[in-house]
Amino acid sequence: MTRRGTSSPSLDATAPVRAVSVREAADELHRRSVQAFGRSLHIRTVDTGSCGACEAELRLLSSPRYDLHRLGLFFAPAPRHADCLMVTGPGTFAMDHALMTTYEAMPDPKIVVAVGACPMGGVFGPDEYTHSDLSAQLPVDVYIPGCPPSPLALLQGLLLALDRSQARRHGQPELGA
Amino acid sequence: MTANRESELDRLLRELPGTVGPTSQAGVIRCNCGAAEMLAAVRSLVAVSGRLADMFAVPVAPSKDHSGSLQRVTVFALDRLGVYVQLSSPITDGATEAFTTVIPGAYLEECEIFELWGVVPEGGTPLNRVLLPPSRETSGPLRGSRHRARSAWAPTEVRAPQVVQGEAFEFPVGPVRGAAQESLYLGLVTTGEELLDAYLALFHKHRGIEHRLVGLAPEQALFLVERCEGQGAVGNALAFARAVEAAIGLAVSEPAARTRALALEMERLYNHVASVAAVCQATGLVVGQAAMEILLEDCLRLNATALGHRYLFNVVAVGGVQHGCDVAALEASLAGICDRFSDSLAALLATNSFVDRLENAGIVSAAQATRLGLVGPIARAAALDLDSRRDHPWNGHYLGLGVATEPDGDVLARLRVASKEVAETERLVRHWLRSSELLDISDMPGQPLGGPFETGPAEGLGWCESPRGEALAWVRVAGGRVGAARLRPASVRNWRAFDDALRARNVFTDVAIVEASFWLTVAGFAR
Repeated sequence: MTRRGTSSPSLDATAPVRAVSVREAADELHRRSVQAFGRSLHIRTVDTGSCGACEAELRLLSSPRYDLHRLGLFFAPAPRHADCLMVTGPGTFAMDHALMTTYEAMPDPKIVVAVGACPMGGVFGPDEYTHSDLSAQLPVDVYIPGCPPSPLALLQGLLLALDRSQARRHGQPELGA
Repeated sequence: MTANRESELDRLLRELPGTVGPTSQAGVIRCNCGAAEMLAAVRSLVAVSGRLADMFAVPVAPSKDHSGSLQRVTVFALDRLGVYVQLSSPITDGATEAFTTVIPGAYLEECEIFELWGVVPEGGTPLNRVLLPPSRETSGPLRGSRHRARSAWAPTEVRAPQVVQGEAFEFPVGPVRGAAQESLYLGLVTTGEELLDAYLALFHKHRGIEHRLVGLAPEQALFLVERCEGQGAVGNALAFARAVEAAIGLAVSEPAARTRALALEMERLYNHVASVAAVCQATGLVVGQAAMEILLEDCLRLNATALGHRYLFNVVAVGGVQHGCDVAALEASLAGICDRFSDSLAALLATNSFVDRLENAGIVSAAQATRLGLVGPIARAAALDLDSRRDHPWNGHYLGLGVATEPDGDVLARLRVASKEVAETERLVRHWLRSSELLDISDMPGQPLGGPFETGPAEGLGWCESPRGEALAWVRVAGGRVGAARLRPASVRNWRAFDDALRARNVFTDVAIVEASFWLTVAGFAR
C-alpha cells in the first residue's frame, strides 16, 4: 500500500501463489518498467536490521518460480546503476551512513520501496537502536506490507512503485495522492 | 540416565565450588558461586568436557532502567551426561575474572558483556567490538541510557578500522552487499588472490531485542523473539517458550509438543535446501541453484499450507502451539520434496567441477570447533558428535535419532551433513505423521496462555536443536512479565569460526562458498 492509504491487491503472504498470477503480474511489471524508465528496472537492496526473512523472499524473486530476469528486472551490483532502492529492516542507527550513502549515490529519477513490516514501524518502535519508520530517513514511495512479504507481494509492490514514478514524471496526480 | 552417569554427575557436583541450588527444571543444574570461586568452577567443568554454551550478564533484580547490581550467568553443556549446568556469580566493582584463559571460546561473550554492561574482564585479551559500533560509548552504554538522544552515537564509519601493513591490503566488503544479502562488514586482507586474514563486523544490525523483551508479557515477547532471526523463528521461539514454561511450571500437552517438533524439522528442511542452493549460487552452478530454489519455494509453500506461514512464524506459543498442522498436506508433499532433494544432491555430488570447489575450502578442524564451542552442522561436519535433540532430550520424540557427522570439516563435509540431516528429518516427520499425535489444523491451539501469571521471580532455561545448531534462551519471569531475557541463537556461537575458516588456505572466490556453507544469519547474531 502507499503511504496515503491506496488500496492494494491482496498481499496475504501465506496465500498459495497461483502460477497464472505470477505471470500476469510479471508481464505487467515489465511493460510498466519499460514505460517508466524506457528500459529495464534495476534494484538495489539495503538491509537495515531485518530478521533476514525479507532478504530470503527478495532472493527468491530471481528463482525459477518467479524469474524476474526474463522481464528485464535486475538486482544492481552498485547503487550508481540502480533505479529502485528496496529497504528492509527497522533502520538501525548503525546503518544510517550506509543507507544514506547508497541513496545519494543513485541517479534520479529513483524510487524507494519499504519492504515488510519493519520499515513501516510495525515491529520495532523508535528508540536508541532504530528509527522504526523508514520515512524518518528517506522519502518512501511505496510500502509493501507483510512479515515477510511473499515474492508475489513484492512484485505487486514494484508495480505500484512504477505507477507512482510514471505519474510523477508526467506531472499527473500520483496514485493515492 | 544410566547409573554410571548419575554417579559421575554426583561426584562432579560434590567437587564443584559453590552452592548447588534446587533442580526444579529437568536437565538443568543451577549453582551459585562467589566471584572468587568462578574460575575454579569453570576449570572443573572444562575438565569433564563441559562445553561453554553461553555466558551473559543480567541485573540481579528486575529494573527497567538497568540500574542495580549485576550477576554473571554462565551455562555449560555436559553433553555426555545430558545436563546443562548454570553458574551464577555476582559482579563486583564492574569487573570479572576473564574466562578466555581457560576457554578461548568465551571471548565474544566477554566482549558483549563489556559493551552492554561495561563490565571489564580482567586478565583477558584486548576486547573487540561485536554488538555496538566503535562510535558508541564503551562504558556500559545501556545502563540508564534508554532515553538518550538517539542520534548521539550514529556512526559515520561502517567498519571497525584495522591496521594492515606490508604488501597486503584490506579489501572492504559491505555492509551493503549484493542482492538481498544481510548487512555485515567483511575486511578481506589479501595480497591479490590468497586470503591472509579476515575481519568480521556484525554490529550494524543490532536491535537490542533482549532489552526490548523486558516488561513484556511472555506471549508478546515471543513475537519479537521470532523476529530475532526470521529463518530460525521456530528454533528461537521454541527455546524461549520452553524457558518461560520452565520458569512458571507450565506443562505442554503431548500433541502440542510433537507439533512443535514437527515445525522445527520443517524449518530444518527448508534451511538445508536453502543452504545447498546458496552453495550452488556461490560456485556459479546455475542449474543446481535453480533446482534447489524450486525445491525451496515448494518447501515454503508447504510450510504455509501445513503450518500457516512460509517461515513458520506464529506456530509456537508459550504453553503449546498457536497453529495446528495440516497432516494431509504434509503427507501429500513431503516425500516428493525429499526425494527430489536427494536426487538433485546426488547429481551435484557427481559433478566434479562442483565438488572440486568444495573440497578443502573453508576448513574448520575438530580442534578449532571444540576450542570455539561450535554447534550444529558446522560442528558435526568437523567430526564433533553433538546434537541437543539426542544429548539433551526433553521428551521421547527423538528416540533413535541418527546424528550425521563428517570428518573433514570443509564445505563438502557440511554439504554431506545437510544431506543426511534432510533424510533424518524426513524419517522423523513421516514417523510422527503415522503416529497421529499431532494437532490437526482443525484443532484449536493446544493450551491458550492465560495471564498475567501470579508467580514470584523464577528463572528458566530453554533449548532446542535449531537448523543451525543448539539454540538457547534464558528468561526470568516476575509478576507475569519478562524481567530479564537472554537469547542465544546458534549463529551467535558459530560466526566466531567464520574468519578462522577463511584463513584456512582459501582464495578470494572461496569467501562466498564458505559463507553459504555456514548458512548463518547476521540477524541471529545481532539480535
